[in-house]
Amino acid sequence: MKKQWLSLALGIVTATGGFLDAGTIATSGEAGAKFGLGLIWAVVVATIAVILMVEMVGRFTAVSQKTYADAIRENFGFKFYLLPLASEVIAESLLLTAEIGGIAIALSLFTGISWHYLFPVAAFLVWLMAWRAPFDLIENGPAILGLMTLSFIVGIAVLGGPSPQLLTTLWHPQIQNGSLANYLYLVAAILGATISPYLLYFYSSGALEENWSASSLLLNRVTAIVGMGFGSIGSMALVFLGAMVLQPLNMTSNTLGELGLAMAKPLGIAGSLLFAAVLFTTCLGAALEVVLGVSYNISQGFGWEWGEGKKPVEAARFNLVLTIFVIVAIIIGLLGIDPLQLALFASTIIALFLPISLSPFLILMNDPQYLGDKTNGRFTNIAVICILVMAFIVALVSLPLEIFSGGG
Amino acid sequence: MRKRNLAKSWNYGLTLLLPVLLIALTSCQFTQSAFAHTASNTGAGFAAASTMLSYMHQGKITYQYAASSFVNFRSELDGLDRQQLLSQQGAPDMRAVQHLFDLYKPAIQAVDSPCLSASCDWRGQVAALNKASEAFLQAGGS
Repeated sequence: MKKQWLSLALGIVTATGGFLDAGTIATSGEAGAKFGLGLIWAVVVATIAVILMVEMVGRFTAVSQKTYADAIRENFGFKFYLLPLASEVIAESLLLTAEIGGIAIALSLFTGISWHYLFPVAAFLVWLMAWRAPFDLIENGPAILGLMTLSFIVGIAVLGGPSPQLLTTLWHPQIQNGSLANYLYLVAAILGATISPYLLYFYSSGALEENWSASSLLLNRVTAIVGMGFGSIGSMALVFLGAMVLQPLNMTSNTLGELGLAMAKPLGIAGSLLFAAVLFTTCLGAALEVVLGVSYNISQGFGWEWGEGKKPVEAARFNLVLTIFVIVAIIIGLLGIDPLQLALFASTIIALFLPISLSPFLILMNDPQYLGDKTNGRFTNIAVICILVMAFIVALVSLPLEIFSGGG
Repeated sequence: MRKRNLAKSWNYGLTLLLPVLLIALTSCQFTQSAFAHTASNTGAGFAAASTMLSYMHQGKITYQYAASSFVNFRSELDGLDRQQLLSQQGAPDMRAVQHLFDLYKPAIQAVDSPCLSASCDWRGQVAALNKASEAFLQAGGS
């Protein structure tokens, strides 16, 4: 039991990597720098949605002992399963490249070496950890280091907190003439960056790796709320920092390094280095989740052996998939696209495919064959329908908005 | 009778015209012109470069942090083309664009070779970056 509660780390790492990643850092910083606190509501909506989805996918796996990918294939057939799989592979390969780029930029901020040279080093680190590191290390390492995110709150406190004038932008966003498209684009990007399907595949597979059962439901609920709540605090803190420091200086957070200046102002060198450390940790956690999430998804869908607890030779195809996926990310990375721009683009693409990945939820979560008496209640069903409607709207508007606003 | 018909047609016309006007009005406010977008981004980029340089000399960030960040500023700000800027939708006249380019030159030099040691004129570079930032932001309507 004690070990089970220690696995609360699963939630924190899922939040550290799944909630806070290059995409969220980019969108949060840009949101604060451009619109003050006027996009906090989008982070709150995304947080509620992701808490509900994570709780449901954890409950599903704990009770049915099946992962989300397993169930999609079993219930909807192999042909349908290929749809979410294809969308997942396209969107997550872009996101993985952005996360590896984020790690490279973080290393670059420490060393002064151009991130282009550090990109292969970062990719090797991700591959090595995904290939050989036990699940415990993947969970606990980023989870513990992810606590550094709390330094953002210290930064806000040292700055004296937001001014009353800034607080009014919470309910009265200041959208300048010609900025409406950019505002709506950031709403879509925040939702796309936060409600990432890889997070569900990773969490679902992680629950099985942790041997969760029907007795783990309370732990699952606490994990979803505490973990995602923790990630959300980090994201909101970045919006505050962007609004308090970058906006008055006319900066729009177009590069990841300049976002660290928001921490340098209140905490000096320690602040900027803490930002770089958080960037490193969150991007590493996210890169591992993305690469494992996709590898779990493919292996489970095709019925192959999978698991971080197994030696590579025992789950050869699972390890081959993760290796190929990292190579694909390196190839995309060779194009030299700025990771921040790539993260924003990947968030838009994820938003575009969101309904495909989330639609099976409504049926699976109401199937007593999988969940017995733990199926969704009326409230959770209404919530899922609301999330799906939101996902459809976001999917419809995300790409046109990206074009209209010039990608932020 | 003819008057009434005319009034009716006028009403129909207004009903049809109003949404068109609304759409036109909203689309005007919905997005920036291409020129305003480029100018705002360039201005914001120079503002960030200026703050980065100042913070480094004030001891708020390390040399390595600044050096790494300027690599990204370079790829963000380098290669602004005068002819391309002039041809963009919403661009001002030739003289205004030329003025922006006169400020762009010393600012981009500072971004390309930032003065990260105390031995060179970093304050001069900060001043050039600030001047260019203000002008571009103003041109972009920010």
